[in-house]
Amino acid sequence: MSSLISRKRSGTIFWVLSQNSGITAQSVPFLPFSSLSEPQPGDQQPSRSFDFTNPVQNHTVPESAFLTTSLETSKTPSGCHCYHTLSSCFSGSGSKHGVLSSGHSVSRINISGSEHGGRLPFSLFRRFSTATAIEPSTSDGLTVSGIIAHDWTILDESENDWKSHAAAIAQSIHVIKKRLQWKKMMVRLDVLSAELNKPDLWNDPVHAGKVSREHGSLMGKMKGVKAFEQELLEHIDMIKLAREENDPELESESLKALLKMRRKSKEKELEALLSGEQDPCSCYIEVQAGAGGTESMDWAAMVMQMYKLWAQRHGYKITVVDEMSGEIAGIKRATIKVDGEYAFGYAKAEVGVHRLVRISPFDSNKRRHTSFAAVAVIPILGDGSTRVQINESDLRIERFRAGGAGGQHVNTTESAVRIVHIPTGVTATCQNERSQHQNKASAMAVLQSRLDQLEMARQAQMNAQHTQSLTDITWGSQIRSYVLHPYRMVKDLRTSYEVSDPDSVLEGDLDGFIMSHLSASLDKDDNL
Amino acid sequence: MRLSFTIGHGVPKFSLFLRPTLSRHLHRPIYSSSTLPSPTSQNPQTPLFLRPPTHRATFSDLRKWQNWAKTLALSVGSSFVDMDNGPDSTLLCRELKWLIEDVTEDGSISETLHNEEPERTVRLRVGLEELYKLWKQRIEERRPFQYIVGCEHWRDLILCVQEGVLIPRPETEKIVDLVGDLFSDNQGLREGLWADLGTGSGAIAIGIGMILRNSGRVIATDLSLLALEVATFNVQRYGLQVSAGRGKKRAVFLFSDVIQLRQGSWFEPLKDVEGKLAGIVSNPPYIPSDHISGLQAEVGRHEPRLALDGGVIGMNDLLHLCKGAASMLHSGGFFVFETNGEQQCKFLVEYMETEAGDNFYNVNIVPDFAGVPRFVTGFRK
Repeated sequence: MSSLISRKRSGTIFWVLSQNSGITAQSVPFLPFSSLSEPQPGDQQPSRSFDFTNPVQNHTVPESAFLTTSLETSKTPSGCHCYHTLSSCFSGSGSKHGVLSSGHSVSRINISGSEHGGRLPFSLFRRFSTATAIEPSTSDGLTVSGIIAHDWTILDESENDWKSHAAAIAQSIHVIKKRLQWKKMMVRLDVLSAELNKPDLWNDPVHAGKVSREHGSLMGKMKGVKAFEQELLEHIDMIKLAREENDPELESESLKALLKMRRKSKEKELEALLSGEQDPCSCYIEVQAGAGGTESMDWAAMVMQMYKLWAQRHGYKITVVDEMSGEIAGIKRATIKVDGEYAFGYAKAEVGVHRLVRISPFDSNKRRHTSFAAVAVIPILGDGSTRVQINESDLRIERFRAGGAGGQHVNTTESAVRIVHIPTGVTATCQNERSQHQNKASAMAVLQSRLDQLEMARQAQMNAQHTQSLTDITWGSQIRSYVLHPYRMVKDLRTSYEVSDPDSVLEGDLDGFIMSHLSASLDKDDNL
Repeated sequence: MRLSFTIGHGVPKFSLFLRPTLSRHLHRPIYSSSTLPSPTSQNPQTPLFLRPPTHRATFSDLRKWQNWAKTLALSVGSSFVDMDNGPDSTLLCRELKWLIEDVTEDGSISETLHNEEPERTVRLRVGLEELYKLWKQRIEERRPFQYIVGCEHWRDLILCVQEGVLIPRPETEKIVDLVGDLFSDNQGLREGLWADLGTGSGAIAIGIGMILRNSGRVIATDLSLLALEVATFNVQRYGLQVSAGRGKKRAVFLFSDVIQLRQGSWFEPLKDVEGKLAGIVSNPPYIPSDHISGLQAEVGRHEPRLALDGGVIGMNDLLHLCKGAASMLHSGGFFVFETNGEQQCKFLVEYMETEAGDNFYNVNIVPDFAGVPRFVTGFRK
């Protein structure tokens, strides 16, 4: 008993993903945002109808391999059931990989059950389970996937039902694993471990550092989830124990712990949305007007303004790096720097072409116009990342200054700098800093990030996550439509998420769109 | 050692403050350690961005001012450009944005001003009325933007400037680059004594001082007392000087001063360091006298003639500097002077190579970023 409690205590979670450690239980959907943004009056808009909780939550898991397997096992005569069960697991898990291990452990229990004719002694089973470390389970063999497979009804939090809590937490774990791209992560971990075991690894310290950093980060994520699973199962054990020993105090304590976990698991689900390597980075957001003259330049300016307001809501620092105004109104293109944690993770959901339909204020005939603006998002890699080495001699630095004598003759605040990276033709311009020196530094920073991005794209074509640069974005890759006339609606073409109040969206209320896209792109079963 | 020192004196903070200066004391000659008079007379004006945000306005009023100012800026079109190569509307609008950055407590609101709640108040560093006045001065009187906000962003520095002090030019940033490049492969010069003659706002001296930090020293001179006041303010703001000293007092470096300011014309206040300088840098007045009246309004009408007018052909001061450089620099010492352009550069190179005796080597012309031959550099044999 005492050992159990100590285990429970030592099971305190190391949740590596919890970047927003300040999060307490708040209204769930906007958690990461509300924690990032400074409290602003008037900013506490209620969430729209969109529900960020994962679809799995309300999704009935089909008659799972878990039940099928155990049924089959019990039918099978002992002696050959082991193979049979495993194969049935495999066939049963074709689409649902996660079930594999659960089926496995269930079959083991049944094996032992048939051998001993009853439940294994508690301690014995424990040792076995931890020794194999395949999938943790409770004393009576219940695993996380097992819980999901049970399809226990998830009741409201206020209902003090442990099964309901457990089911909710288990499904969250399921969602978190998908979002972390669990399967890919395991493969990657194997690759990295193999690298780390190479004796000559440290001959290249830069590479070695990178490998060990990534390994550490993935291990942390994995251990975080495993520890969370473990904690869930231990609480369930405690509840069962409490019932057996008729200890209502322990039971209610464990129930409370489960409820706490349930709340926490919702936060973790959201955090897991931003588990990409570059997600924590700051970023540049670039907007470019499509064809169509003043109307589309005005639209580009509106889109840029939308991001400035969005960034402001979240307490990110905004700096205009480059801005090319239209002749009459709007912008031809602009680049802003968005400084803050997870700026890239969120903003990357905005990459693509944004379409506007409205009656143009620039058309004297009041006709309806459709215009486009392209958005690119570039991560600003942290110091830890390997960045592209830029050769000073590969650069051509151009300064815009009025001709004439210069020097003491001229007093101008114009100090724009444009840098061309000759080998790639990549350019960066900055004119919004107040000194030439700073403009050059800013333009270099943009250039560096652009080249980094180019390199990442080159290296990781297989990694579909890389965002494209502005020039790569074809005008066909429309992601969202903003209709102001004849009806009013903003609709994301990727997720079908829509809002009927375009003004609020243009005022930077983009979280619904961003989160729905992020979850839609990660919550695929093949990620598990 | 440090511990016992601290305990012994019983004033930990003081001892920590003293510790770095103590070692310097041992290695560096200190000309005098007498206490220096603090600056008196004209106190420099505080630039807008350093003033306390004690004024208030509603967003709606601030926006109203912004719209008015923008309309005024747009009305300029390219008329100033046509007139005297002055600023166009685009540049003026950018300056307007910077002005808002400097006067609001939270500078970043300039990006989102139009979406703020109209009735919310915003804290300002100057009153709204003053803002109307300032922008009017900018457009109607062509008062330089840098004097309006009281500062110039130069390299990675923000230097305070005001009427009577030349606004540092972006071209001059290069002088610091040249000196910095020199330091990377000449440790001897890095540890030496440098002089910035006619320092104005202190720009070059501070730029070099930031690179030198704890190795060498810079003496910055100016004839103008006002310039020295402003330079002192800037030097202190960047922590390069703790005490202020000037005039005939021969107290050179007081403890941790990287930069010392002295008043006087060119080499006149530097008699005590003759032949001891590792480097001389200067951006002296070089505009020919008869060009002054045709200058861009921001320059000709507002900036100090003392810092611009270089005499009939603009070379009075440059020649004076070249003449003095040989006796002031120690062997291997470096000089860089900014000039009006190709003609002056060529003239100086010829002068240094021939008439200045056989005193210099590696005399070169270095162009500015626009490709204009701008600087003359060389080394003392």
